[in-house]
Amino acid sequence: MLKTNLSILAVVIGCLGVFTWVANAIPQIQSDVPEDVVFTGDVSELVASGEGLFQGAGGCTACHGLGERAPNLLTDHEGTGIIGVRCANRVAGQDCKQYLYTSLTDPNAYLVEGFAPIMVDASRTLSSTQIWALVAYLQSQGGEVTVTAADVEEGGDEAPAAGGAPMAGGGAAGGAVANGSLDPQELLQAGTCIACHTLTGPSLLGPSFETIGARLTAEEIRTSILDPNASVAAGYETMAGLMPLIFGTTLSAAQLEAIVQFLASQR
Amino acid sequence: MFPGVDTTSERNVPKRGMTWRSGAGPLLLLGALAFLVMAEPAFAQVPAGRDYGDFPVIGGRAAVWIAAQVHLLFAAFVLGVPMFAVVTEAIGIFGGEERYDKLSKEFTRLLLVAYSATAIWGGILLFLLITIYPTLFSYLAQVFSVSMWMYAGLFFFESFTLYLYYYGWDRWKKGRAKWFHWGLGIALNVWGTIVMFIANGWLTYMMSPPADVTADTAPQMVQLWTALTNATWMPINIHRLIANVVFGGAVVGAYAAYRFLASKSDEERAHYDWMGYVGNMIAIGALIVLPFAGYYLGREIYEFNQQMGITMMGGFMSWLWIIQAFLIGVLFLAGNYYLWVGMGRIPGAERFTPYTKYMLIVLIIGVIVWATPNTMIASREEFAAMGGSHHPFLGVLGVMSAKNTAVNFMILTTFLSFLLYRRANKEPVVPWARTGTIVQGAVFVVAAAIVLFYGIYGYFVDTLVRIGFSVYQVLTVLACIIGVITIDLLMLRGATSRGQIQWGRMPDRSQYALFILAVTFTWLMGLMGFARSGIRQHWHVFEVIRDNSPWAATPALGYSAIVISSCVLIFFALVAFIFWLGSLAEKPVISSVGQAPAAGGTGSELQPATSEG
Repeated sequence: MLKTNLSILAVVIGCLGVFTWVANAIPQIQSDVPEDVVFTGDVSELVASGEGLFQGAGGCTACHGLGERAPNLLTDHEGTGIIGVRCANRVAGQDCKQYLYTSLTDPNAYLVEGFAPIMVDASRTLSSTQIWALVAYLQSQGGEVTVTAADVEEGGDEAPAAGGAPMAGGGAAGGAVANGSLDPQELLQAGTCIACHTLTGPSLLGPSFETIGARLTAEEIRTSILDPNASVAAGYETMAGLMPLIFGTTLSAAQLEAIVQFLASQR
Repeated sequence: MFPGVDTTSERNVPKRGMTWRSGAGPLLLLGALAFLVMAEPAFAQVPAGRDYGDFPVIGGRAAVWIAAQVHLLFAAFVLGVPMFAVVTEAIGIFGGEERYDKLSKEFTRLLLVAYSATAIWGGILLFLLITIYPTLFSYLAQVFSVSMWMYAGLFFFESFTLYLYYYGWDRWKKGRAKWFHWGLGIALNVWGTIVMFIANGWLTYMMSPPADVTADTAPQMVQLWTALTNATWMPINIHRLIANVVFGGAVVGAYAAYRFLASKSDEERAHYDWMGYVGNMIAIGALIVLPFAGYYLGREIYEFNQQMGITMMGGFMSWLWIIQAFLIGVLFLAGNYYLWVGMGRIPGAERFTPYTKYMLIVLIIGVIVWATPNTMIASREEFAAMGGSHHPFLGVLGVMSAKNTAVNFMILTTFLSFLLYRRANKEPVVPWARTGTIVQGAVFVVAAAIVLFYGIYGYFVDTLVRIGFSVYQVLTVLACIIGVITIDLLMLRGATSRGQIQWGRMPDRSQYALFILAVTFTWLMGLMGFARSGIRQHWHVFEVIRDNSPWAATPALGYSAIVISSCVLIFFALVAFIFWLGSLAEKPVISSVGQAPAAGGTGSELQPATSEG
């Protein structure tokens, strides 16, 4: 009987061990508590807080991260650019800040065509400052951050007034990537190009920049930056559509040219 | 303030120093007094200004989690077993077969010893809630006070009905007295169901409070009935009712398996083989219905709050469903394996043996499809490895069209296993037997074709239309099950037997399948409990009372799995201990095995000892 008991124990422990192992082998995702946001006047902090909420405890990426349940806010949507670019053009008479704030607190007000009204009012779970942090972060994705201290302090449940003075040190605007720097490597870093491409060695989601000058002309490189889907590199066909269509608006002409010439020299 | 508690966002936390609401009416039953006796000193211990207590080593949340889960497991057992105990007793009464009565009594004996453990863990949970989450408990007590008193009172009714039911078994054995006894069994189920419904009202309120309850609503202003009958109350009630039967059947099966392996005589082996079979049939039979209740619950969660639904199915909990698919795959495989091995003890079953390998293939393919992730939160390296944002296989197999099709095929296959088992030693004598069998086969083929059609069609339509297809698939499978079993019942009337079921002639390995089933069911309950509770995320009461404790973040699946495994281990260790204690006091009731078959007996899979099958 001892042998039988031990066998039963082994089966029970074995099952529990396998189940526990499987549950630990998969991606471990914890649902964090949204951190309270205290606005100190530094817009970059507000943007960073917004990014933390967007990517984490705000739960935004469950729908907006994949572009299936809701538009992907960090990539292009039907040629209108990423959210910081397209937000100002979504509703006539509303600037980007107004549109984003309203979309967060009254999500069905401007439902994007092709998507179901599934989003709930963010103010049910987030504080006013947290919502403004999200607005600032989304604006920074290709646009200019115009959230003001007055918005944050007076926000409450009221929609922001139209306009509003941009805050000092705002996010990326046209030509404002890397604070207007013309250093190509700094631009590649600030423009998050090397998140997918690499300067040397094997690449991930996009072709490596190593020897790119030997493969493409300067004109082809320029076209690839401005319209990434015009021609997709061999072997990366399945990645088509992942690269944002924003660099025509976020980079100044001089910055674009600096990058093009730098890449063309990589032989 | 408790160290580590976020003090900057307490706008939703109820005011401290809440007290019991007085003047709640004349419902001061004995149980209510007992409840208050328990509760008052604990409230007196709550220091002013303290929202959360702590628990050594594992922390307060884990302590409450374990207490709640183990209590729920025992409670599910003592609520599930009476449901089929009263049914088997009825079979004994109406069929005139005493062995069913004896089996029912043995079920109830297990119930008796598990009952006190349920109450003990309920007490532990209550004290932990009061000491670790005093403010939250105070809030809930103010909303639900009257129902808490009723709960305690009903618990007394349930307890004494159970004692009468068990200890009166031999006294009220014949005639009208037997009917009275059966009525006690029904009353036991009624009390137990009401008790569960009340407790479900409390927990579902935390999950889906009425829309008019906000952070500013004083608990005294919340209408009790509205709070109890919230959006997810009835779906949870139905889901738990069915799940309790599944769980009870599985634990009974494991108990029988242990007794089978420990048996010292053929008679004992035969009895416990049969008991294990009945337990497994109850568990698998109810399991087949459970996904439909789960679908209803899921739909209501989405109706209540889309974001909550998305958190559950597509947010941080999305991987939980892959684990669930894996577990249910284990259940389907183990359940079918037990049936297939069991066919070895049935003369005539060998003609169906060649088909089992095809059913196994269908089941394995079904598990693989069901366990395919839909979307993955992946790193850049993983995106690169997949060759894009979506793995080519995930895009095709990880969607609901494929998954719904897979699970419906698995249900159909399991039903076919059961049908072959049922038919194994029977020879129909009705003149239309051949036609009936062809019709049954045709119903299976048509059902499979419909399920497959909607599965494929789902790829070409919008999401909202696709969701509707799952209803058609489910209804098709249900219609198939009802239709085929109806034909079978009619066709096998007066059927001859190919030989007697050799109860007890089961290889030992088959009994380990019953253990795997019980452990997997139990673990699955723990996982689903985590899902139900976890989708509230950092809220005690969703969007009403925020969790400001140090444990407010909802943990990842790895940590949760460790807690769940601990709960399951504690539960089975205690079950083994109390069943062993029970065996000291009384010898098991062995049904009459090996007697001559009843005249004209055609053999039923629920007629173990004396039948021709």
